[in-house]
Amino acid sequence: MPGSPKIIQLRKFLAERFPQQKATHLLAPTGWSPLDSLLGGGLPKGSITQLIIPHISAGGAIVLHEIIEAMHQHSQCVALIDGKNSFESSTDYPLLLWIRCQNVAQALKATDLLLRDSNLPLSILDFKQNSDTELRKIPGTTWYRFQRIIEENRSTLLTITRHPLVSSAQISISLTHQLRFDDLASFRPEIIKLFSLEIVRRRFELEYRYA
Amino acid sequence: MPKIETSCFTVIYIPFYFLQCAHQKRLLQRVENAYASSRQLSLDVTVEDHYSDSFSSSVFAKTCTDIPAALLDDDGIHVIELNLAAEEAGIQPGASTSQAIARAPELVLYTRALTHERQLQDVLLQLAYSYSPFIENSAPGVCTIDITKTRNQQNGLRKLLAQLRAVGLKAQAGIGPNPEIALQAAKIADPVLEISHDCNLLQSLPLESLDPSPFLLDILKSWGVRTLGALTRLPRDEIGQRLGLEGLSLWDRAGGRSTKVLQFVQPSETFEESIDFEQRLETLEPLLFILRRFLERLSLRIESVYLLIAELHLVLILENGEKIVRSLQIPAPTRDVEVLYGTAVQYLETLHTTAPVTSFHLEIKPSKPDGHQFDLFQGKLRDPNRFFQTLARLAALVGTEGVGIPQQINTHRPDSLRIQTPEFDWSWHSVKNTSRPKIGPGLRRYRPGIIASVELDKDKPVSVQSDLISGKILEARGPWNLSGNWWDRARWEIREWDVVLEDGGIYRLAQGLSQWEVVGVYD
Repeated sequence: MPGSPKIIQLRKFLAERFPQQKATHLLAPTGWSPLDSLLGGGLPKGSITQLIIPHISAGGAIVLHEIIEAMHQHSQCVALIDGKNSFESSTDYPLLLWIRCQNVAQALKATDLLLRDSNLPLSILDFKQNSDTELRKIPGTTWYRFQRIIEENRSTLLTITRHPLVSSAQISISLTHQLRFDDLASFRPEIIKLFSLEIVRRRFELEYRYA
Repeated sequence: MPKIETSCFTVIYIPFYFLQCAHQKRLLQRVENAYASSRQLSLDVTVEDHYSDSFSSSVFAKTCTDIPAALLDDDGIHVIELNLAAEEAGIQPGASTSQAIARAPELVLYTRALTHERQLQDVLLQLAYSYSPFIENSAPGVCTIDITKTRNQQNGLRKLLAQLRAVGLKAQAGIGPNPEIALQAAKIADPVLEISHDCNLLQSLPLESLDPSPFLLDILKSWGVRTLGALTRLPRDEIGQRLGLEGLSLWDRAGGRSTKVLQFVQPSETFEESIDFEQRLETLEPLLFILRRFLERLSLRIESVYLLIAELHLVLILENGEKIVRSLQIPAPTRDVEVLYGTAVQYLETLHTTAPVTSFHLEIKPSKPDGHQFDLFQGKLRDPNRFFQTLARLAALVGTEGVGIPQQINTHRPDSLRIQTPEFDWSWHSVKNTSRPKIGPGLRRYRPGIIASVELDKDKPVSVQSDLISGKILEARGPWNLSGNWWDRARWEIREWDVVLEDGGIYRLAQGLSQWEVVGVYD
């Protein structure tokens, strides 16, 4: 329903006055400030965000734990589709739904079920430990299918991979960091300070819809 | 001066009750046969479309009024109940099957459906109880209700009749100052009729409407008495002298002066439906059709008592005598047929039986509506029932141990955790803010660990060979000795090392009692 002329004028005025303010209702905050601040408030709702972590020991598990913990702090449920059953839970996560898949095919089916269910605000698909051979067999159409589902139910999917994989991702973020051996004894916030998160690709809505 | 309340009763009367029950059973079986024949002929027949709407209305109306229909006794020899068309064709109750067919070749014969009769009587009482708590189980297909204190009687009755219609029963209701008049009114109602003591309509009813004994009826007819009005015009004392107590009782009933006291009952609190199939079922479709029909009926019944459905109890009896029993919990109790149907279908679709199904029984466990205090800032499941269906599908995909909430076990043994299935109120779990310092990166664990051969130099690993990683170890820290259960046979002992390889990866190696393993990578 179109707004009244006064409302439209007010919106226009506010947009001009505060151009830095984003439409926050289109974002799903993870609660983890390095990621949220990079993305301007959170992961975009109704789209896929791809986190690329090329190094073997780069801090991907830290990111995963930080997001899950931040979601818990905000009493939000989160689903982790673990492509290689490699997640190590260091503490109890009562609001984490962990799906322990043995291979990529299982993980894709589980993701499909969860996205169609649309009950959980954030699903994380972790393919960091899966082999490239397995991942290369995923048809490109799979990601577009996921994109269509997410668009409809306005949920959010975050994928974690070692290489760019998700063709329909609206935002691709890269984490280029190499853990040092001394980091094993460092406080986690100190390690996170050294992370370099960077947006490597951002697609406009129409671009990924009709790509 | 205090207001004197006049008594008022209503009778819900289901004409041709046994015939209607038998007809309901026949319709369900017709669906089953239609599925069987459609399968044999390989035709794409949408049976549900044909039968869903007509199930309780038009087919019934046609069969029970236009087409002569008769109900046979348990032996299948004699007619015990007839519809109007059969009576008009000249068939009398008690006639043999051959006599009846000779009078009306198009006669449809039914056998009694005892299970359906019992279940539908339960339905009648449960729905009537939602209208008034003062109900009497007067006879099969007849329920008397004291509505003296009930307001808006006619509207309530019409709603009740519509509910009965929805479960496939065509009923009529009569309202009168005593149960007898109400019953007589119900028998001629269309669909609701209210009559009083001096109503001419009551006077003109035939004597047969009171079901007198054949002996008494013969005597009265020989006197030329054929209607209730004709009987009440005779002096009561004279009737008593000549016909005794039975005659007096009949006179009182005919005059609307019976003083029957209702015997109130509580309706049964079991909600169940069952069917024995004439043809054994080998495919799922007919069973699903019947399941939906049962759920619709049960949902209506449960709605009348303001409850919700919390559990579906399914029983399938197979041809070889095997009995499959399954209880399906509904996470968020509901009356929504689609949700209940989806839950049951999800189970039935994965069910493999060793023999065809011969009988199906469905019972539901009711529950009171649950109240939840929703928290403004907590994330809730949008549709809990759908979520738990998805959980079941995920469990079918990855196993029950493959999906759930990870929980730590109180032990120092690495990788010791249990997977807990989320409860219904899972998403409302409050999370305590722990301020424990977090040290080091997380571990990504290889499950199971990858067997490795490790070369040691002065008890320190210097190189590793495995299917996953191989190479020279640049740096190693350890060992971290862990052990437990030394007091029993489950004794375990592990020495762990953290190592950095040439590829930059930081790995954890573990030396067990017999071998080395790469157990994870720090990330």
